[in-house]
Amino acid sequence: MPKLTIDGVEIEVAPGTSILQASEMLGVEVPRFCYHDKLSVPANCRMCLVEVSPGPPKPQASCALACADGMVVKTNSEMVHKARKGVMEMMLINHPLDCPICDQGGECDLQDQAVAYGFDRSRYHESKRAKVDPDIGPLVKTVMTRCIQCTRCIRFAEEIAGTPDLGLVNRGEDVEITTFVEKAINTELSGNLVDICPVGALTNKPYAFTARPWELRKTESIDVHDAVGSNIRIDVRGGEVMRILPRLHEDVNEEWISDRTRYAHDGLKRQRLDRPYVRDPQTGKLKPTSWEEAFAVVAEKLLSVKQGWKAALVGDLCDLESMVALKDLMGALHETNLECRTDGAFYDASSRAGYIFNSTIAGIEQADAILLVGTNPRWEAALVNARIRKTWLNKRVKVGVIGEAVDLTYPYEHIGTMPVDLENLIKGGGNFAAVLKNAKNPMIIVGMGAFQREDGLAVQALARQCAETFNMVREDWNGFNVLHTAASRVGALDIGFTSKEGFDLGKVEMVYLLGADDFSMDYINPNAFVVYQGHHGDAGANRADVILPGAAYTEKNGLYVNTEGRVQMARKAVEAPGEAREDWKIIRALSAYIHRQLPYDDLFQLRERIAREWPHLMQIDQILPAPWSEFGKPAKLAAAPFVAAVQNFYMTNVITRSSLTMAECTKVFLHGDVADNMVGAAE
Amino acid sequence: MLAQFANSFLLTEIVKGMALTFKYMFKSRVTINYPFEKGPISPRFRGEHALRRYPSGEERCIACKLCEAVCPAQAITIEAEPRDDGSRRTTRYDIDMTKCIYCGLCQEACPVDAIVEGPNFEFATETREELYYNKDKLLLNGDRWESQIASNLAVDAPYR
Amino acid sequence: MELVTSFFTGLGFPDWLAMATASAIQIIAFVLVVALSVAFVVYGERKVLGAMQRRQGPAMVGPFGLLQSFADLLKLMGKETIIPTQANRPVFILAPILMLVMAFIAWAVIPVNAQWVIADINVGILYLFAISSMGVYGVIMAGWASNSRYAFLGGMRSASQMVSYEVSMGLIIVCVLLTTGSLNLSEIVTATRPVWVQIMLLPMLAVFLVSILAETNRCPFDLPEGESELSGGFMVEYSGVLFTLFFLSEYANMVLMSAMTTILFLGGWLPPFGIEALAFVPGVIWFALKVSLILFFFIWVRGTLPRYRYDQLMRLGWKVFLPFTLLWVVVVAGSLLAFDALP
Repeated sequence: MPKLTIDGVEIEVAPGTSILQASEMLGVEVPRFCYHDKLSVPANCRMCLVEVSPGPPKPQASCALACADGMVVKTNSEMVHKARKGVMEMMLINHPLDCPICDQGGECDLQDQAVAYGFDRSRYHESKRAKVDPDIGPLVKTVMTRCIQCTRCIRFAEEIAGTPDLGLVNRGEDVEITTFVEKAINTELSGNLVDICPVGALTNKPYAFTARPWELRKTESIDVHDAVGSNIRIDVRGGEVMRILPRLHEDVNEEWISDRTRYAHDGLKRQRLDRPYVRDPQTGKLKPTSWEEAFAVVAEKLLSVKQGWKAALVGDLCDLESMVALKDLMGALHETNLECRTDGAFYDASSRAGYIFNSTIAGIEQADAILLVGTNPRWEAALVNARIRKTWLNKRVKVGVIGEAVDLTYPYEHIGTMPVDLENLIKGGGNFAAVLKNAKNPMIIVGMGAFQREDGLAVQALARQCAETFNMVREDWNGFNVLHTAASRVGALDIGFTSKEGFDLGKVEMVYLLGADDFSMDYINPNAFVVYQGHHGDAGANRADVILPGAAYTEKNGLYVNTEGRVQMARKAVEAPGEAREDWKIIRALSAYIHRQLPYDDLFQLRERIAREWPHLMQIDQILPAPWSEFGKPAKLAAAPFVAAVQNFYMTNVITRSSLTMAECTKVFLHGDVADNMVGAAE
Repeated sequence: MLAQFANSFLLTEIVKGMALTFKYMFKSRVTINYPFEKGPISPRFRGEHALRRYPSGEERCIACKLCEAVCPAQAITIEAEPRDDGSRRTTRYDIDMTKCIYCGLCQEACPVDAIVEGPNFEFATETREELYYNKDKLLLNGDRWESQIASNLAVDAPYR
Repeated sequence: MELVTSFFTGLGFPDWLAMATASAIQIIAFVLVVALSVAFVVYGERKVLGAMQRRQGPAMVGPFGLLQSFADLLKLMGKETIIPTQANRPVFILAPILMLVMAFIAWAVIPVNAQWVIADINVGILYLFAISSMGVYGVIMAGWASNSRYAFLGGMRSASQMVSYEVSMGLIIVCVLLTTGSLNLSEIVTATRPVWVQIMLLPMLAVFLVSILAETNRCPFDLPEGESELSGGFMVEYSGVLFTLFFLSEYANMVLMSAMTTILFLGGWLPPFGIEALAFVPGVIWFALKVSLILFFFIWVRGTLPRYRYDQLMRLGWKVFLPFTLLWVVVVAGSLLAFDALP
């Protein structure tokens, strides 16, 4: 353990720690541009220079210099200051003075550092260099003249995203970062390029010029576009969500978020349900109405349709509170036809270990062999995929895939596409069986694609068998993982929003859809009375006889349980549009109309009620290990290959389907159409 | 004692004061006949706002929102988005002249000399609504006062 | 008077009718001249104050702003007369009317030239004194009827102020009467006195000038109006025509007091200092000039002195002026007796 002195303070650090990291531990701020603690260290910006003795009498790059015993480091000496000033001046030689039109203005590292180390005028009177801006897709805007060649973007694309499309070409003044061949950077994490760029060279294209950081009100919340539960910060101006940024959570999303999380928020402004509607029996058309009238109609149906002939379905984006409220409402009517698995997946929800991501996302880094079954983690949970890639990068973890052979950004062994291939693997066939057998911490990740088929329960049983066969479930390690795609799912399963016996949607007379859109409405009895409560006019609202406008995830306080079983709290950033209300309030108000008033008047009472029945759901941001038990039902396996649950990363739910940005991404990344997105690069 | 008595009894101080006012009666007048004569104003005079254009006719404002941020009265409201040619422009630039305190910080903050407080101070209106200036009104002001504003800025330039 | 009457008898009017017509013409002439003079006093005040403060004063209406007062009059007439709902309506309306009437009827005994007087009565000075004291009723009525605390305070202050200073004014007039031996205003003007007697009256002139400032509620004794403390005093609730009446009567009172000073101390229509060579100028002109001088003094004081505090005002009235004038009455009477200079 090297012991050194930084600015007069002694510190003992782990071997291999850089001086910059050691300084950070002491709370000493060292300016940097190229260094990023999640990326490799190139030490090319030279901003983090410090004075180190013993050593040559010159400043050293602290990010790349490992701590050694007896070092004396000065981060704030005359020499350091002079060196950094020189670096800053060199950097500003070719940096344009266009802060007023730069979106990074106000949150720019270079701007901040220039205040500390800049000079109030330039000594450079020659002409500055200018660069052509490559078009790298509809999400990231480039202004390469502003680039200071820190190469963070190159390293991010190479290391984290696994799409080595960016590179540094030429030398000296002509050096530039480009895609070689002009093309869109095809990664689900491209938005993070904007965050890591310390200057305004890479900026958020849909957000371009619309707001300044100082006008935004920031709300820390949770993302719902996938089941990862990324921690996000919602930036709001007025009543409008302007952008979404990641929040650091080492165990979930580190400091990245997927493009769907970041860019789909423009869907929150379109196709919104902002007032209740009732279908006119004469014309068959939906007409606007008042809350009272809509409630009266729904209440009348709830009371008149006999018990057993009603059903309630919850969709992918629902918060825990509203699902509990709906369950209580249905419970008050003794109705048990509840279902959350609207994606058509068959799996056993009786054992918690059977449907959560037991290893936890951070736990992936401990795995030394990973088997992916029926999943494309890159599209179903981009950050889980990033975590697998990180593990591969760190220790070349062995990955096997049973399912579609897609580009996962890291090499893997494609074992097969059929359930039978899994069966064979368990029997010890193939190389990968040996890999799993020899692994210390083997891991299986089962995607929704493995369950969304008739033999889903059998696949689940097979997966359990696999886990048990390869000793994946131990006291200190649980390598059985289910990767969900819906943010609401684990919460709904936890509160038991499922029916044990099952019911036939084609026969029930009344269906209550709580944000349930992502299944074919043809399953519902054509004569059934359908109530849709949600925030977007999509499939569900189209089929509905009564629409109750609810709030989207940015518009309500709520709990979400991610695929690991981690409960996280989302916070309200804006008001719901028009007459729309928070979902649990709607259900609570409706309960009064059927004379079965739910016993909670505010969110805290509702959460107390949740805590009483499911104490683990009030353990915010904590993982409770689920006890291992029997689940699944061995049966005959179908001969159909596994198909991943997400076929279009950019279109997975009602919000993304309403988003213009996501539509543009679909066009560019899925269909390879680049005609429209040349606009904006012309500047 | 006696002197004090005499002073107050003979009203010397009052007489002195009255002599002073009498003297002032014959001094020159310092006021002017305002609507017909006007006093000189400084090139730094902070009057009615205007948004300027470049000689090419292109508006100067680049929607950096610094004026909005610096405005102590929060009188300025800006909304911006990329124009069709990709440049950064305002879609809305409103100044609530009833909130404005004419401190001139907006023109200090402006990096392109777009928003300026011109020499005009005669813009009283009959309704408050007329004092909610929008971008068109401000650009119109700019066009109307450009020659004076430009010469004022030129005169003041060495001191900035 | 006789001249006009004989003109009408010459036209074949019966005596009583000729008399009445002549009186009516004289009254109208007096009212008109006084009203007109008020207009120009207001204008003059604003101009002089402007000059003292190095401003221009009114300059827009008519040449040099001469018609400013008429424009103001038009404006005031055009304004809505607001009567507060809680006010005592008849009294509220009556108060300014009473004030104005008092300000005008005093002019009945003022001789502006030899024989130029409507009613040349022998107790003219008493009549004048009585009428000018009546003005306080208007103030009290206005203050009371407005049913407003500011107006009420203003009214109370004004009443006590006027009453206080009338005492010393009375004693000053006694001094003057001692030297003239007549209560007839024309005779007071024409009375001949030795120079030393006139010099003895000089301190009385000073006290009288101060007293009339107080009597007319002028600066520095404008406490009843006290804009900065009572926001207008007893007339705070008045507007439009009724306010105009107050305004008019205040200035008419100023002119009246100036005329009174002229008659008592400055020799009325006679040329100044008894210089016979100036006698070719008509007496009316001299009278007007002397009145103007006093009015200028009014304005000049306003342009110079700040307002008195209320207790200072009362102290001055009762503790300084009253003993001083009392003493002076004794001194004047004693000297007249001693030097056998009684008229």
